Amino acid sequence: MLKSFLEGLDGLTLECEARRGQACSLKDLEALRVEFLGRKGKLAAGMGALAQMGPEDKPAAGKKANEVKNALTALLESRQAELEAEAAQDALAGFDPSLPGRRPAAGSLHPVTLAMQEICEVLTGLGFEVVAGPEVENDWNNFEALNMPPDHPARDMQDTLYVSDTVLLRTHTSPLQVRTMLSRKPPVAVIAPGKVYRRDSDITHTPMFHQIEGLLVDKNVSMADLRGTLTAFVRQLFSADTKVRFRPSFFPFTEPSAEVDISCMLCGGEGHVAGEPCRVCKKTGWVEILGCGMVDPNVFRSVGYDPEAYTGFAFGLGVERVAMLKYGIGDLRMFFENDVRFLEQFS
Amino acid sequence: MHISLQWLREFVPFQGTVQELAERLTMQGLEVEAIIDPFEAIASIVVGHVLECADHPDSDHLHVCSVDVGGPEVLQIVCGAPNVAKGQKVPVALIGTTMPGGMQIKKGKLRGVASHGMICSERELGLSEDHEGIMVLPETFAPGKLLVDALGLEREVIEVSITPNRADCLSVLGIARETALGFGLPLTMPALNLKEDASAGDANTVVRIDIADGELCPVYRARALTGVKIAKSPDWMRYRLIAIGQRPISNIVDVTNYILMELGQPLHAFDNKLLKGGVIRVAPATPDQQDGQSITTLDGQERKLLASDLLIWDGERPVALAGVMGGANSSVSDETTEVLLECAIFRPGTIRKTARRLALPSEASYRFERGVDQVGSLFALERAAQLMAEVSGARVLTGIAMAEPKPWAERSHGFRIDRCNALLGLSLTPEFCKTTLTGLGCTVDDSNAANWRVTSPPHRLDLEREVDLFEECGRVHGLDRIPAVLPRISKSLDSVQMRDTEFGFLQRLKAWAVGAGLREAINYSFVGTDDLDRLNLPVEGRITIANPLSEDQNVLRTEIAPGLLNNVRHNLAQGNASLRLFEVAKAFVEDTTSDTGARENSRLGMLVHGARHSQEWPWEQGEADYLDVKGLVENLLAHLRLGPASFILEPAHPYLEPCVRVEVAAKSGVRLVGRMGRVQPKIADAYHARKDIWLADMDADLLRELSRATKPSFKSLPKFPPVRRDVTVICPATLHAEAIEAAVLEIKPKNLESLALVAVYAPEGPADGKGERNLTFRLTYRHADRTLVDKEVDKEHGKVLSGLPQKLPVRI
Ligand SMILES: [Zn+2]
Repeated sequence: MLKSFLEGLDGLTLECEARRGQACSLKDLEALRVEFLGRKGKLAAGMGALAQMGPEDKPAAGKKANEVKNALTALLESRQAELEAEAAQDALAGFDPSLPGRRPAAGSLHPVTLAMQEICEVLTGLGFEVVAGPEVENDWNNFEALNMPPDHPARDMQDTLYVSDTVLLRTHTSPLQVRTMLSRKPPVAVIAPGKVYRRDSDITHTPMFHQIEGLLVDKNVSMADLRGTLTAFVRQLFSADTKVRFRPSFFPFTEPSAEVDISCMLCGGEGHVAGEPCRVCKKTGWVEILGCGMVDPNVFRSVGYDPEAYTGFAFGLGVERVAMLKYGIGDLRMFFENDVRFLEQFS
Repeated sequence: MHISLQWLREFVPFQGTVQELAERLTMQGLEVEAIIDPFEAIASIVVGHVLECADHPDSDHLHVCSVDVGGPEVLQIVCGAPNVAKGQKVPVALIGTTMPGGMQIKKGKLRGVASHGMICSERELGLSEDHEGIMVLPETFAPGKLLVDALGLEREVIEVSITPNRADCLSVLGIARETALGFGLPLTMPALNLKEDASAGDANTVVRIDIADGELCPVYRARALTGVKIAKSPDWMRYRLIAIGQRPISNIVDVTNYILMELGQPLHAFDNKLLKGGVIRVAPATPDQQDGQSITTLDGQERKLLASDLLIWDGERPVALAGVMGGANSSVSDETTEVLLECAIFRPGTIRKTARRLALPSEASYRFERGVDQVGSLFALERAAQLMAEVSGARVLTGIAMAEPKPWAERSHGFRIDRCNALLGLSLTPEFCKTTLTGLGCTVDDSNAANWRVTSPPHRLDLEREVDLFEECGRVHGLDRIPAVLPRISKSLDSVQMRDTEFGFLQRLKAWAVGAGLREAINYSFVGTDDLDRLNLPVEGRITIANPLSEDQNVLRTEIAPGLLNNVRHNLAQGNASLRLFEVAKAFVEDTTSDTGARENSRLGMLVHGARHSQEWPWEQGEADYLDVKGLVENLLAHLRLGPASFILEPAHPYLEPCVRVEVAAKSGVRLVGRMGRVQPKIADAYHARKDIWLADMDADLLRELSRATKPSFKSLPKFPPVRRDVTVICPATLHAEAIEAAVLEIKPKNLESLALVAVYAPEGPADGKGERNLTFRLTYRHADRTLVDKEVDKEHGKVLSGLPQKLPVRI
């Protein structure tokens, strides 16, 4: 009796081993588990014979029954792991990594703002602080205090949009020099970014554009300081090997005055790219980028600074020009059309 | 300013290349903008020798010529000019030449006879207006030689940009001085060889000079010439004028232009027979109150005069607008035989005012405005009189009629070399500075080594102060040789600013907007009156531009919207249908209390239009609506720590409908921080928008002020779990969610922590104000110190359920 009991239990293991492969889903496998290990399953049925066995056979039979139960459980569990691995595999097969993501709307800064922020960042890093002021200005702040009396030919350099005889749209950010110096004592180290306006509109001029003005006033400021500041500035803004050239020029509010050229970033100052004339610098190897000079003593006088005690430098540059050079924008007018196909290029 | 190198070399023996000259002048502050070949257009024209000239068999005016152009073959050229003849030397345009007018010379047939080129007239070559016949060249010219070489035409002209301070450089002489200085060369003035003719009389018996005010006209000189024969100027003078872009007119006028270009002194030639009363008077215009006063200038235009205009009068009437333009009543004509040649100096500001007001800029006024060398003017007069005599056969009367109420006064300035070096950041030696200043024409007294006395030359009106001399030393040494040194920037504690400066805050707003998925636009601050009218914006308070470039740029924006709406139009025209834009810019309104008459207010404008998402998939599709623009505003306020905000429907707005006021509770009270809404469809139509345009216009200055007053403040996190209960309210669609929320709060259920709208369902479609809708609110209850039990929450929530229908026309 014991022998046939033991054989029956072994048969269960063999049967389960043979059939578990046919369970193709977790549901099938559950049915199989119930068939073998359920309360009314095959193992339980087999165990019914245990009660009629003599006490000498019971330990061996019990031990065997336990072994078979463990074996069956292990068989079914291993099949379950197989099925779960298969299911995971199937789920991955349906995963398409190439579908477009659910993208939040993308914003972007205008290229003028991008260039302006970069310029301001470099200059504030050098120790300048940012000031702001009105765009509608008085003639006095915009011209007279800057050594441009009425009927002075230097006023021809800047065609002006007037609101009235004495009020105008600022033609440069330089009135902020005046406003700043009137409101504080030296030392002064400020930059003034902002919109400026000229009565001028053609392929290379828009009636509104952006400038950044810099002003440093202290004891013993020299033109070498100016050159150092601008050299550091353009190196950070463009590249570490950018060369700076000072050309004497004229601005009513600085003396001496200079135009600053930098070595062309496209052709590296060679004037040619692959044998073709460079379109950025027009073969000269230099690109005009800003105007600068030592603050004219007359400007100091008009704001109540003593020109014998203080010297200073000032510089100004056009932001659109920097943006055009840095981002390779060819047409100035695109800046103010705000075509989104243009704007999104500066994300 | 165009400068011919041939001409320049008459003053200074510069032997280098034009490129070397251009480079040096540029680095001396005289920017050479271009190097020009003025006769490039006729550079390929050759000298031809007419070997034979026969009549055309089929024409009564054409000739068939055999022309030797130096090549192996003699060319057959058909020519229609009446003056062509055998044996002439003529200019020939060969096949393939492009003429100055753009015409291309091709092989062709004229009435059946082949022609291999063209014999040219002076007009065809741009050398004069003469087209009576072909240009006949001197017999000595060799066939085949280039015409430009045979005629010795100028091939190198530099275009120099002269800054307003360098009036002295508006002439060949001025550039020659700078060339001499730059290359260490001597300067040679042309030899003066004026022959006065005593038999012709004395100028002082012909005319007397009378100057009313020496400030307006410090000196006036005149020479008289008789026996003038008006004719074409000699070739050399005409070619020289053409080379620098001046049009030759006649010998007398050409000489005045020649001297103006050569020496920088404007001159005027009167027909002396037309002047009356034997006097030249320099005095302002005298317009009377009733009739005013006017003068007809030599261009035939009648000019209304003001008392600020300076005139030249004869014994009876004005004969010229001083320094600007001569009068028609006394100008030189082909019949002129007597000339009175004026050489004067006028006050720059006066000339500038008149020339600008009358929009009459001329080479003369340009120089007078900037200042002319009073001492040098005498030489200019003498040289001009000499040239006039030479080119017109005139005899020059003895003497100069003149008045000089304000002779040139020498000006001297201190010069401290230490200060010069400190300003420039250089270590220039006294020797260098002295050589430089002397080279500029200054006289230097260095008896006091620390503080020299420097007298500037009369042609350098810009050397007015010590610092101007510093600049000269730096310029000649080379500003480019100044070393680069980084300054130590010292600051005072006063200059330390709060964070969120005006500039900084606006940059922060921009950064937020980019994060919120908006693209930055930048528009002109001015728009057209039409742009504001279209939005029904008030006319009062607008700031208009007195001299706008165009009608669509004649008024400053009073709000941010007009620019953004123009961007909608532009983008829709380009096929960009989905727009999410922002702009940070100022709006301008009249304000009499401001020192500029304007109040400038920074605004943040946001605009959404069209599809909410740029992707068709996987986002659910939808058009931007109120909740999109409101979401942006709410997100912004949260970003700036502002709130709670109220959103109040405004009964009427010029261009938005609906329009919602955004108000924020602050310490200073409830503040209006902006408005938002939908652009009225009729107005949106004008911008070609078929879909709704939703727009928010926020006061950036106020946002900055309010935001600066807030700071993050920490609250401990809750320790005990919340209990949530939903309530769905069925209410008329006209009842706002806000009213229900307020009613719940009024009931004051105990331990209510928060209240949020979680679902809106309108069974009868979109709310049109008539139907009903269901609003589901989620109420969160929580106790700070213990876990709430269901029973006590049920009790409080029950108050809400029973209370709401009593307060509002709603069902639960
Ligand atoms: Zn280049």
